[in-house]
Amino acid sequence: MLQVTALQKSFDGFMAVSDAHLHAAQGEITAVIGPNGAGKTTLFHLITGQITPDRGSIRFKDKDIVSLPPYAICRLGISRSYQVVNVFDRLDVFENVRVAVLSRQRRSFNLFANARRMAVKETREILQTVGLGDKAGRISGTLSHGDRKVLEIAVALGNRPELLILDEPTAGMSPEETEIVLQLMRRLRSEMGITLVFCEHDMEMVFTLADQIMVMQHGRTLIQDRPDAVRNHPEVRAAYLGDDEC
Amino acid sequence: MTQSRFQALVIPAVLLLALAFLPQFGTRFYIYLVSLILIQGLLATSLNLLLGFGGMYQFHHAVFYGTGAYATALVLTKTGSPAWVAFAAAPLAGGILSLLIGVVCVRLSKLYFGMLQISLGSLVWTIVYRWYNFTGGDDGIHGIPVPDAISSGVGAYYFTLAVTVVSLFILYRIIRSPFGMTFQAVRDNPVRCEAIGVNVRVHQLIGMVIAGAFAGIAGSLFVTVEGSVFPELMFWTLSLEILIMCLLGGWFTFFGPMLGAAVIVSLQTFVGIYTEYWTMVLGIVLMMLILLLPQGVLGFFMERWIKISRSEEN
Amino acid sequence: MDFAANLTLSALGQQILVGLSRTTILFIVASGLSLVLGVLRIPNLAHGSLYMIGAFVTYSVAMALGGGAFGFWLALIVAPVLVAAVSFAVERGIFRHLYDREHLMLLLFTFSLTLVFNDMVKLIWGADYRSLSPPEVLKGFVTIFGLPFPRYNLFLLMLGPVVALGLWWLTNRTKIGKIARAAAVDREMVGAVGINVSRVFSSVFVIGCFLAGLGGALVAPTQNITQGMDHAIIIETFLIIIVGGLGNIWGALLGALIFGLTDSVGILICPQFAIVFPYAAVVTVLLVRPKGLLKSTW
Repeated sequence: MLQVTALQKSFDGFMAVSDAHLHAAQGEITAVIGPNGAGKTTLFHLITGQITPDRGSIRFKDKDIVSLPPYAICRLGISRSYQVVNVFDRLDVFENVRVAVLSRQRRSFNLFANARRMAVKETREILQTVGLGDKAGRISGTLSHGDRKVLEIAVALGNRPELLILDEPTAGMSPEETEIVLQLMRRLRSEMGITLVFCEHDMEMVFTLADQIMVMQHGRTLIQDRPDAVRNHPEVRAAYLGDDEC
Repeated sequence: MTQSRFQALVIPAVLLLALAFLPQFGTRFYIYLVSLILIQGLLATSLNLLLGFGGMYQFHHAVFYGTGAYATALVLTKTGSPAWVAFAAAPLAGGILSLLIGVVCVRLSKLYFGMLQISLGSLVWTIVYRWYNFTGGDDGIHGIPVPDAISSGVGAYYFTLAVTVVSLFILYRIIRSPFGMTFQAVRDNPVRCEAIGVNVRVHQLIGMVIAGAFAGIAGSLFVTVEGSVFPELMFWTLSLEILIMCLLGGWFTFFGPMLGAAVIVSLQTFVGIYTEYWTMVLGIVLMMLILLLPQGVLGFFMERWIKISRSEEN
Repeated sequence: MDFAANLTLSALGQQILVGLSRTTILFIVASGLSLVLGVLRIPNLAHGSLYMIGAFVTYSVAMALGGGAFGFWLALIVAPVLVAAVSFAVERGIFRHLYDREHLMLLLFTFSLTLVFNDMVKLIWGADYRSLSPPEVLKGFVTIFGLPFPRYNLFLLMLGPVVALGLWWLTNRTKIGKIARAAAVDREMVGAVGINVSRVFSSVFVIGCFLAGLGGALVAPTQNITQGMDHAIIIETFLIIIVGGLGNIWGALLGALIFGLTDSVGILICPQFAIVFPYAAVVTVLLVRPKGLLKSTW
């Protein structure tokens, strides 16, 4: 479904991503791991078009998406959440998701209809799915950190994506909240058939959830394989996981 | 919820009724004053569509107001076209100029958008200021033949009131529309908007055209009331004055700019009666307000009101 | 070459010189504005009012001393110093408390300040315009390119590089200049190393306003001193620093050159629309380089 090959990007001479490879198959959960500064977030920015790569190819459903603007990539079916919460702070929770739904329905240019009556059902369903149904009326800027992270995902779901990219979806969450997100990600795959790509520092979560793991270091892809293969890969053990962790 | 809905309907209705009967008990002076408030209020509201709801630094909004005013004035004085053409020309001219300026500006980030916009606006002003045989240059155009039905003080007042109310209603609908909601999302977070499939620049451009068109309408109303146009209508100081109206009235509220316009225009008029130095008084009042009420007058009361209703809930 | 072509060429040369002397004043005022904007982040619309006050004070001081040369030279010092004193009071009294406010609010606040300043000028000097003649040495004309050129403009031409050099020295060679440049880039950092940022800001504000006063003093003999002269200068200087790069003093010089030269050459090409040329030049540059020609500190 997603095929990233030999991707490269530098900022002012600093090579953030030098040789990244990633493939995600339909219906699978792929995790990207690597130490801080390995280029994971840059890779996600590149895939979603927020920045343009210097070299390499990104194909989604056999279509070249390099140099498409972010909104066009989103319309092809790729949504994402952000590591640092990135929602619409002055809108309420319901409106946050509704904006995404309206965008997907191509109704954002409608100037005269009453938005309050639109996209209600779908928005409500999404909020139910992620468990924010009872907080629909809250201004999103006033939510707790955990709820805001979940809202991140809910907004991304508003686009009804085929591929969902989650940048550290559980960062800063309590163990209980993490468990909820974990369950949610499983359900997104099984019930809605969404292909997931995520990056995470919580190795336990990565190895229980992912079908495939891609390891990045210094902007390069070391390996992408099944979790057990990654776990036993000598270079990964040496470079990143540390023997004691397995 | 029902109570606030009740308030939201009753207050404007009472106000509208009062405005409709104003000529019955108001003097010419008050009719003229309220006309000016409505015009400047409409202008400020159109600016606030961009400023408060779109998060765009439209620093030189008066250009579109002036353009609308000149469009109406020029059609009335230089062509034999029927009056409706002159009034249709105003939003058209304001909208087209907005489109032209917008196309080159929306690709820029907030601050640089504002700076290019003020430069382009000033350029338009210099041309109008000097083009004597077309715009009348710095003298402007006076004695514009406004149609008889709306040329008297009361006629102009009713025309202004009707056009303003309809315009405000349309603007209100736009803010409540899917476009308006998306526009507010763009204000809060343009990067995220792109990521959820919104073409931010096209939305900003549409917003600019709408705001420019309504500023143009306000300009044509000015011609109706004053019967003249001059380059000061698109000078940068006026742009700042309407910016002040928005911030003063509360720029996250819909009716704030209208309130701000009422405060500023009244201050100008009433203080002007007592002293030649009214701008000093205005300046001092503004400084106090900025120091004491950073979120604007209406914004201030809204916040208090929300706090009160919140505490009642709990 | 025939006579007419000769004339246009020397007229062009002369207009360029006129433009350059105009550039001097624009640069002095714009560099002050740029300094305040770059270091303190205040878009000071009242800068134009201070320029106007500088011009009026120059007139009054020169006249009070009999309108002679001594009065003029003294006024050239007194006016900017007085303007600097006023700005010091304003900074300590008001702006100091507003540094963390939003830029839009600061913009409106300085606009309110212009309303107050302008009425104060009206209160003190009345609504009439004034005019001041330059001292005897700078009166009259010299012949350049076979055409008469005002001596006073020649004086401005020579003063321009002096002021530019002085500013360069101030920002690159003095302690306060270095701190100010560092603070423009990263305010927290400078505060963290234990420098009294508040005092640096205050000094920069006063220096910037001093330049506004100096510009006003220098312009006084070249035009009518009048209400409203602040409106023209403030929009011009703002465009100049936008085109040069916000907060960059050399950008202000570049912008002033563009503005001054297109203005004076425009008079030769099309006198009626001469005022359009500098604005069109600014827009053209910004269309290509929206962030200005030189590196902005913003």
